[in-house]
Amino acid sequence: MSKIPVEVKDKSSKKKTGGPAGTEAMVPIFVMGKRYEVPASLTIQKALEYAGYQLVRGCGCRGGICGACGTVYRFPGSYRIEVGLACQTVVEPDMYITQIPFFPANKAVYDIEKLEPTGSTVAALYPEIFKCVGCGTCTRSCPMDIDVMEYISRAIRGDVAGAAELSFDCVMCGLCSARCPAEEAQYNIGILCRRLYGRHIAPRAKHVNKVVDLIEKGKFQKGLEKLKRMKMAELKKIYNEREIEPDMAEEYWEPEDKTFIIVE
Amino acid sequence: MKLHYYPGCTLKEKTTNLDESTYAAMKMLGYELVEPENWTCCGAEFPLNEEKIVGLAAPARILRQVEMEGGDKVVTACAFCFNVLKQTHIALLNDPLKQKRINAYLKDDIRIDPVTKERTTDFPEYRGDVQVLHLLEFIQKEIGYEKVRSLIRRDLGNLRAAPYYGCRLLRPKGETGIDEPDDPSIFEEFLESIGIGVVDFPFKQECCGSYLSVSLPDAASEVSYRILRSAKLNGADMVVLSCPLCYYNLDRRQDRIREKFLEFTGMPVLFFTQILAWALGVEAEILGLDQHFFDPRPVLGITDKAEVAS
Repeated sequence: MSKIPVEVKDKSSKKKTGGPAGTEAMVPIFVMGKRYEVPASLTIQKALEYAGYQLVRGCGCRGGICGACGTVYRFPGSYRIEVGLACQTVVEPDMYITQIPFFPANKAVYDIEKLEPTGSTVAALYPEIFKCVGCGTCTRSCPMDIDVMEYISRAIRGDVAGAAELSFDCVMCGLCSARCPAEEAQYNIGILCRRLYGRHIAPRAKHVNKVVDLIEKGKFQKGLEKLKRMKMAELKKIYNEREIEPDMAEEYWEPEDKTFIIVE
Repeated sequence: MKLHYYPGCTLKEKTTNLDESTYAAMKMLGYELVEPENWTCCGAEFPLNEEKIVGLAAPARILRQVEMEGGDKVVTACAFCFNVLKQTHIALLNDPLKQKRINAYLKDDIRIDPVTKERTTDFPEYRGDVQVLHLLEFIQKEIGYEKVRSLIRRDLGNLRAAPYYGCRLLRPKGETGIDEPDDPSIFEEFLESIGIGVVDFPFKQECCGSYLSVSLPDAASEVSYRILRSAKLNGADMVVLSCPLCYYNLDRRQDRIREKFLEFTGMPVLFFTQILAWALGVEAEILGLDQHFFDPRPVLGITDKAEVAS
């Protein structure tokens, strides 16, 4: 058994070398079986566009957050199915790629206020959770490095808080669901657990109530009124001269002017 | 002493009283229970279809994890989990091809640390050396009834318990059973060792209705009623068992049984670990006795607590 650290997804620095001076190296990729030569530094998403595909769906934030561009690929000679987000994964030579921008999944409708944060709730909304055979394919299919089987396992045994925590990084791309032999919608179960946790288990944030209370009592009213009466030039001046937290500020950095700072 | 213990999902959700009383009783007997890391559901049902090998992946992974953690045995308190793990152990032991296929599959497991995102891959083969024991067996074979007897702190001599085996502890015959399915005695021996009176009754190996409780609840409550009535007619103060599903049918279903059989007045149903922990002197509060449909506290003489709860 071996432990390997997180793979660095950006391999572009390696691939860029080797081309003629001034031009970028090209690599062959296969999109749905057809061969294209694309610049080696591109992400799969940009490579698809370079190859002439117009992405209307399956290209949300382009920043690795929205989960719209789940992609599977393989290399010749390997049985292993690899996964990644098209917008985050840099192309590699001979990748066989297909993007799975949407995968239909069972989605329960519920009123979170009326639910209890228990395993029975999860089981009632997603009874198919008990079809899980523990094959582990979901974990192998997650581009976000989430131990999907582990959080589903927690949900099965009623550990809603555990399932919420372990599924926290999920971007809802649906690749786990696409590959699940038990036809689960893992990511919908995960978000149910996170919602149950947020609404019913996590302690209420008392300091937020305190701040709301202070706002309602008019702590900021005077300041606002003052700003409203200012001329545009004046506003610009105080905006530009405002005190800004330095980039590498200490954890307990505080501004000079503490008029509007609320101390706990 | 550390001992690998596989609780199973039901014990963490619906029957925490079985889980918590197991921890409490084993602590009194000198064991610190260790749950194998990253355990999943065992599958609850052993796949009888020879080709459905994927059903062996989860229980085999649990056994491999015990092996990886240096354990040579794992105990369970749940009769269902025991049945699945034991049958898996035997299936892999007797069928090298099956073991090879499962190992080839499980080798590709990936485990990801939730914080560091470090991936663990390339898992070792499961060699098949992990012994699966039900806690009743472990007490019989490894702890010994003499030791249990010497640690008893509460006198239960005036009580009479009916041991209910159900199906999962005993069948399939000759493979998984902790005792002879047609004439078992391990449960009786266990009860004797904790000093409680033992009631023999003809329905101790009858099926409780099992999953019919979901599809045909009336049929399930009818067979459950027969079991409870037989225990009662033979003079039992309580039924003692080890299976969460039997517990559900025999205890939680008593509301339905009472509606249907008006002469039935109710019967306390306890997990064997609850009565064991109680005999060993564990406080009543941590045994989950308040989770039962039929309150077992009065029969155990915990009357004041029962009044507080009701």
